[in-house]
Amino acid sequence: MLRLNYAQKLFAYLLLIIYAVIIIFPFFVMIIDSFKTMADLYLRPFSLPISWIYQNYITAWQTANIGTGYINSIIIASSSVLIVVILSSMLAYAISRFKFPFYRQLFIYSLLGLALPANLAVIPIYILMNKFHLINSLIGLIIIYSATGISFSTFLFKNFIDAVPLEIEESAKIDGASDLRIYGSIVLPLIRPAISVVAIVNFVGIWNDFFYPLIFINSQSKFTITLSVLTMFQGEYTTSWSLLFAGLSLSIIPMIIIFVSFSKQFIAGITQGAIK
Amino acid sequence: MRRKVKLRYLLIFILPSLVLYSLFVIYPIIGSLFISFYKWPGVGPMTFIGFDNFRSLFVGYFSSQLWNAFYHNIMFFFFTSILELGLGFFIALVIASNIKGGNYFKTIVYIPNMIPMVLVGFLWGLFLNPQIGFINEFLKIIGLGSLVQPWLGSMSLAFPTVIAVNIWRNLGFYVLVLLAAIINVPNELLEAAYIDGASAWNVVWKIIFPLSFATFRTLLLLLFIWSFNVFDIVYALEGAQGGPAGATDVLGTLFYRTAFGGLGSGATGMGLGAAVTVFIFAIIFPVSVIYVYSVEKRSSS
Repeated sequence: MLRLNYAQKLFAYLLLIIYAVIIIFPFFVMIIDSFKTMADLYLRPFSLPISWIYQNYITAWQTANIGTGYINSIIIASSSVLIVVILSSMLAYAISRFKFPFYRQLFIYSLLGLALPANLAVIPIYILMNKFHLINSLIGLIIIYSATGISFSTFLFKNFIDAVPLEIEESAKIDGASDLRIYGSIVLPLIRPAISVVAIVNFVGIWNDFFYPLIFINSQSKFTITLSVLTMFQGEYTTSWSLLFAGLSLSIIPMIIIFVSFSKQFIAGITQGAIK
Repeated sequence: MRRKVKLRYLLIFILPSLVLYSLFVIYPIIGSLFISFYKWPGVGPMTFIGFDNFRSLFVGYFSSQLWNAFYHNIMFFFFTSILELGLGFFIALVIASNIKGGNYFKTIVYIPNMIPMVLVGFLWGLFLNPQIGFINEFLKIIGLGSLVQPWLGSMSLAFPTVIAVNIWRNLGFYVLVLLAAIINVPNELLEAAYIDGASAWNVVWKIIFPLSFATFRTLLLLLFIWSFNVFDIVYALEGAQGGPAGATDVLGTLFYRTAFGGLGSGATGMGLGAAVTVFIFAIIFPVSVIYVYSVEKRSSS
């Protein structure tokens, strides 16, 4: 552990507190302003609302269809995560355990997705989606996210499975269990920590994505949470700042609360995912 | 030991993910190369035009936009790398030291990362508004009214402002990853150095930094690749045009305008957009190869 002396410690605390304020203060402004009237917001930017206008939240919720956005984002992210976990863990298991030609090349091939300009290669995906009639469909997005999540997830699962001892699987094999059964009832329960890392990292990534919904979704009933907020910023409310702040709060605050409550798991997942 | 497996089972395990992945991750790169030789507005027949798209991209009527955007991507990589790795390492060192409350700071620094980049952009777009945004109001209150600026509307300040917002959102990620690397440094080494009377400065630069160098290298490779994928933050703060007057235009927004319309671009066309994709891919491909091989090597050892 790095040892700081008294003066250095003082400086360290000062630095961290300033940084923390820079992070948190904007959210504070966002919340306060979301309860103001427009005049209040304009004339007294740094004071509490004269009267707290809760109505802003109801109006924002309705105009931006935040509820629909939440439901769609949850459907898309959780379905994709489920598919990614199943497919990638199976691929990783095969790469880690089975004897077949070119397994190393297969692994390298499956890693390529970590390092491609994914957003910019969307035109052929657009053509494919068009062919399969999956433009403007949640299923289309689920397919894309399931595919783009495979590289990272396979990599993480493979590392994890490599570290699982072989003996249990070998004795199960001798007892006549099939490979699918070994995978399902022995391996999957053993790699539960990796599953939660993969699930968290993919879920957050999909939740935060904006590009694919922007390209593929065009009817409001299918908007994700990011698109719902976008409509507020492009529609008739662009000058009603308190409504915009209310809309942003509605889409941002729940995520922060979830993160802070489970920050230990999140942070473990993020750092493991990045350096493993 | 690897065990033999029936072909049927091997296929059950690898085929579903392989098909999905090949179709939606690998094929799009190859497909883009194919489309880049055609003129195609997105519907109707495709016309083969050879290298015409690349000609208009590199030397033709599109070249000023391309090189302008490309320059911004490079600058984006340069400044985010220096600032995110530099500040990130510094903050991580502080959190990893013998101060109290490190865990709280770990949580706080990562909060902005949990918010979609595009919403971060919208939020800061309001804050940075020259008339009533809180940044300018704040500067006035603390007596720095002379620093009040049209942050997002000024030709010289718009791009640095976009980078600053990007750093506000992403820095926590680099802090946490570098923190993990710092914590991985064996404590005995540090203790031995202290016994020899080393200063904190020497411990950082002679022991901690060299031992976390691999993490820096990995992050640098990723930053390079990610810098060419930038889109959301520019779109949210400055629109698909990368305004004002292209001062924040990046290849992501250029691609979006070219391939999927958007007002004011000189031409729209899937072929031209695909050529932008190919250009980017050619640039980042060597880095991708280095990155993938280093990842594979670490995984196999």
